[in-house]
Amino acid sequence: MAINLQKINIKFYLAENAVPSPEEAFRIFSQWIPLTTDEILIDVADYRHVARGPKTVLVGHGANYTFDNSDGRYGLLYGCKIGTQGSNAARLRAAFAASLKACVRLEQAENTVSKPRFVGAEAVITINDRLHAANSEATLEQIRADLESVLDDLYAGAPTQIEREGDARQRFTVRVRVEGDFETADLLANLAASGAGAGA
Amino acid sequence: MNETLTWKDHLGDRIPEDLGREVDIFETEIELRRQGKIDEVVFAETRLRRGAYGQRYDSGQRFDGKQTQQLAFPKANTKGPNTEWHAPGMMRIKIPFGGLNTVQMETLADLAEEYSDDILHVTTRQDLQLHYIHIEDTVDLMRRLAAVGITTREACGNSVRNVTACPLAGVCNTESFDVTPYSRALARFLLGHPDAQDFGRKVKIAFSGCRDEACGLVNLHDIGALGVTRVIDGKTRRGFEFYVGGGLGAVPHQAKLFDEFVSEEELLPLSQAIGRVFARLGEKKNRARARLKFLVARIGIDEFKRLVLEERAILPHDARWTSYIQGLDSDDETPLRPGQALQGLQLPEGFSEWFGTNVYQQLQPGYVVVTVYLPLGDLTGQQMRSLAAVSRKYVKDTIRTTVEQNIVLRWVSEADLPTLYTDLVDIGLGGSAANTIVDVTSCPGTDTCKLGIASSRGLAGELRTRLAEKYHSLDAAVQGMRIKVSGCFNSCGQHHVADIGFYGISRKINGITVPHFQVVLGGKWKGNAESFGLAMAAVPSKNIPLVVDRLTERYVAERQGDEIFQDFISRVGKRDVKAMLDDLVQVPTYEEDPSFYRDWGDTREFTIDDMGKGECAGEVVPLALFELGAAEREVFEAQILLDENNFSGAYTMAFKAMVAAARALVRSQFLDVSDAPDTVIAEFRTRFVDTGLYFDTYAKDKFARYLFRMQEEALRNPTRDDAHRAIEECQLFIEGAFACYNRISDAAGADALATA
Repeated sequence: MAINLQKINIKFYLAENAVPSPEEAFRIFSQWIPLTTDEILIDVADYRHVARGPKTVLVGHGANYTFDNSDGRYGLLYGCKIGTQGSNAARLRAAFAASLKACVRLEQAENTVSKPRFVGAEAVITINDRLHAANSEATLEQIRADLESVLDDLYAGAPTQIEREGDARQRFTVRVRVEGDFETADLLANLAASGAGAGA
Repeated sequence: MNETLTWKDHLGDRIPEDLGREVDIFETEIELRRQGKIDEVVFAETRLRRGAYGQRYDSGQRFDGKQTQQLAFPKANTKGPNTEWHAPGMMRIKIPFGGLNTVQMETLADLAEEYSDDILHVTTRQDLQLHYIHIEDTVDLMRRLAAVGITTREACGNSVRNVTACPLAGVCNTESFDVTPYSRALARFLLGHPDAQDFGRKVKIAFSGCRDEACGLVNLHDIGALGVTRVIDGKTRRGFEFYVGGGLGAVPHQAKLFDEFVSEEELLPLSQAIGRVFARLGEKKNRARARLKFLVARIGIDEFKRLVLEERAILPHDARWTSYIQGLDSDDETPLRPGQALQGLQLPEGFSEWFGTNVYQQLQPGYVVVTVYLPLGDLTGQQMRSLAAVSRKYVKDTIRTTVEQNIVLRWVSEADLPTLYTDLVDIGLGGSAANTIVDVTSCPGTDTCKLGIASSRGLAGELRTRLAEKYHSLDAAVQGMRIKVSGCFNSCGQHHVADIGFYGISRKINGITVPHFQVVLGGKWKGNAESFGLAMAAVPSKNIPLVVDRLTERYVAERQGDEIFQDFISRVGKRDVKAMLDDLVQVPTYEEDPSFYRDWGDTREFTIDDMGKGECAGEVVPLALFELGAAEREVFEAQILLDENNFSGAYTMAFKAMVAAARALVRSQFLDVSDAPDTVIAEFRTRFVDTGLYFDTYAKDKFARYLFRMQEEALRNPTRDDAHRAIEECQLFIEGAFACYNRISDAAGADALATA
């Protein structure tokens, strides 16, 4: 039976010297809560005291947005938490779209000291569901075609490198790298142009 | 990959049958709540008893299980309104005596990543908590915990909470004996015990192995057992100096000595008898006065003791009283590596400081206890997994959480300390401030607790940062002090027993709410929480770091000899101490300094508009109502079986549900009735039908006759119609039972009013 990709997490890294302070991250996320109407955002959690991990979490009913440095590099981690409909490719597209939409929103936020900027050419995809997506080559092979199809649209045909990371105890994780510079707004536009990106 | 695979299937018989059944029941109850077939009050109690709390949020929207709801939201730049039942909540996970093994740690790490926000939080009672858990995820979470021997049952609600114990028990230099096995036995005995299900409030139990240290905090618990030995007939016997009626909260009570020596054989039955007396005589309606401490205070320790011993004398014998404590004098912990002294090795940078604060020399030569310092009690899923891997290198599952919100590794060979330290640094857990003034304890406060008034974690984080920066310049007497912060007066942060304690309040300044903290001085952490401090002054939150500076600087300047902080405060006098803080009490106007109008860790304007009803206390649902709810769940299961064309199963389940409902009523009069159907039905007939209590105005005893007929018929091969009818009759019978219970309750209430 085919793998059922749910709970897709995607992280885009922040450029150096463009990382919001915990105070700024908290302020930005808090402002999003009452201003966001197309999804339910419910709380902001502050974990600045944790050495490596989620620093500031915007908790939503369906997804979380996290300023994260679990792997030692700051980025915005989008994490879908509830089951969604559609094919695996559609879910991947939706997750990329939601993730990029948040990145663009941050880049366009007014009155920020850090002026957040994201590195579009690298992304980390994690399936937050050990039961259905073990961290193995077999899982990668099962999703490879769908993933490559989405990445092809996302990066407008640019060659991508897909590399699986971590051991069997960790969640299924792949890192995607592309040569060149990519703006998150352009990536979001690429997805939309492919006809399936806006359905996040 | 199988997309229909479930954790229930995957784990199979790794889930113990009893725990698995519990989770299945809860899954059904969630579905019934979703369908609106369980009242919110009953569902709240049932989820709380399984460790699932509601949380406080900031949003103006909620998904209530059916649709998104717009909720009242005072202002865009303040926190939001209360939660609804379906909103993600907190999961409290009981860790009896704080004991963890590496497999459990790995599972907890997985759960934090998959269901929570990737943070595990150690509480002030050795529990672990995960936040923002979707209610539908709780059942898989519970199954995965059950498969590694952990239950969340009775982690919240009006039940026996996590049984805590000194994390040094068994390796401590000052203990009488290792109290660990006794805390484990009592936790096991009372979990789900029928005599621990009808309390008006929670019951907290703690064990300590010695009188003078702080680790067990016996004096602030409902039941506290302090290990002592006594020579009887020439033999050294183990027992407990036994305390009851302690507690913090808004009105802290020092525990009262119940008995100077309770033998180990009496530990379990005596605790059971206390449960019975508390269930019978404890306050049920006024939650603010429902803890055991109020009962003991009201009737006096002598009368309480008399009643408990009277109850103890008539308890039906239970073989577990002795079987659970057999062989407990044997040491079940062993080291992984030979105990060797730390020798002239080249030590890693930062090691000496860490060694000075985080390492405790065990009773056993060559071994130490290492404290893994967790800022504010938090660590990530990956850190927990990595800590499990590190632990495997050095110890054999001798790992515990602490009430100071850290984790300790016991039985570490001294010779391994440098490499262990390096390993901890590599995973971001090599902090050296354990057991110092930097290691500030805090409850969740306004971050997630509905009762929180001010940001205890925000303040704790700020104090921690400031104190860490100047730790080396602090006097040694100050370095060893403890700061504890609660978000409100309920004292989950245990502020009453800190050297310097704080609890959140608010004050209106020119019509604007300003976050404040009461400064609590005079508490003693040592001696099992020997004394409780008192509030000295309400200081705006933003000035609290200055309070710490001022108190500690004056202490160092005027300290006489080895005078401890509490004695210094006592000598200086409250009037002088208060005068010392007078200028810090002042709040500038908003225009002068708006930062005073925000809380620590929050960029928004302060408000307490989002406070809600506390979840800690749970809902006071009488036992009968709770058991009637369980009967409702069973008749729902009967419907499922009918849908699956299992007519015999549906029929049997319907009958079982009716018996359960009848038993619920019977137990309101006769607590010890057996669960044998014939006995239950006979008692029900005598007590509720023959007396007319069950009679409906119109139907009279019609519904009761359904039960009697099913008992007599006992169809072996029921048809679909038979099963269908049985379910319908069962539902009517249960409705009748609810109505009966309500009539009796109303009458009891009217009587109480009439005699008041």
